[in-house]
Amino acid sequence: MEIIDRLQEIFRDVFDDVTILLTKDITANDIEDWDSLAQINLIMAIEKDFKIEFTLNDVSGLKNVGEMLEVIKRKIG
Amino acid sequence: MNNYNYKDLYIGFNQMFEVKLTEEMLNTFVKLTGDVNPMHVNEEYAKSKKKIGRIIHGMLTSSFYSTLVGVYLPGERCFLQSIDVSFKLPAYINDELLIYGEIVYMNNAYKVVEIKSYIKNKLGKTISTAKIIVGVIE
Repeated sequence: MEIIDRLQEIFRDVFDDVTILLTKDITANDIEDWDSLAQINLIMAIEKDFKIEFTLNDVSGLKNVGEMLEVIKRKIG
Repeated sequence: MNNYNYKDLYIGFNQMFEVKLTEEMLNTFVKLTGDVNPMHVNEEYAKSKKKIGRIIHGMLTSSFYSTLVGVYLPGERCFLQSIDVSFKLPAYINDELLIYGEIVYMNNAYKVVEIKSYIKNKLGKTISTAKIIVGVIE
C-alpha cells in the first residue's frame, strides 16, 4: 500500500469520515474538523501506524499533506 | 495532588486510587444532571429489572477518570483531551471502586500521553475501561 493510501486511512479514522480523499495539496483549511487537537490525534496515529517518532520540529511547520508525506518518508528511511 | 512533568513520565508508569460510592453521590449527580431515569432513582423499579438496587450513573463513575488524570496522572499539569469509555457492568451504592491508569504511549512532539485505564469493583469485576489522552503542560 502506498504511503498516501495508509495516510488516507489514518485521516478517515481520525476524522471519522470515509469520504476523505487525500491529495498532497490538502491543508487544514480543507477539512473542517482539522484543528489543533485533531492535529495531535493525527500525529499520534501516524506515529503508531508507521512506527516512527516525530520531533516538534518535524511537525510544527507542516503546510499540507505533501509535506507531511515527505516527513514520513524521511522517517521511514 | 501529584505534579509530574512530562520528563518524569514513561511507558508503564501507573497510578491508582480507591473511592466508595455513596447514596449522596448518586442523589447529587441526579440534581446536577437531571438524569432521573428510574433505574437510578427508583429502588423497586431497578430491582424489578433484576438489578441489585439503584444503579450509579455510568457518567458518575466515569468522572473518576477525570480525577485520575487531574489529580494523580499527571496531576496538576494535566490538560485533558479525550476520554473514550466502554461500560462493562453496573455499579451500585456502597460499591468500592479501584480506578487505575497506566501510560501506554507517549508523544514527545506534543508532550501528550495515552493512558489505558479501568475501574474495577471489590470483586475484581471491571465496571468500565477507558482510553484517555492528556497533554502535560510545561
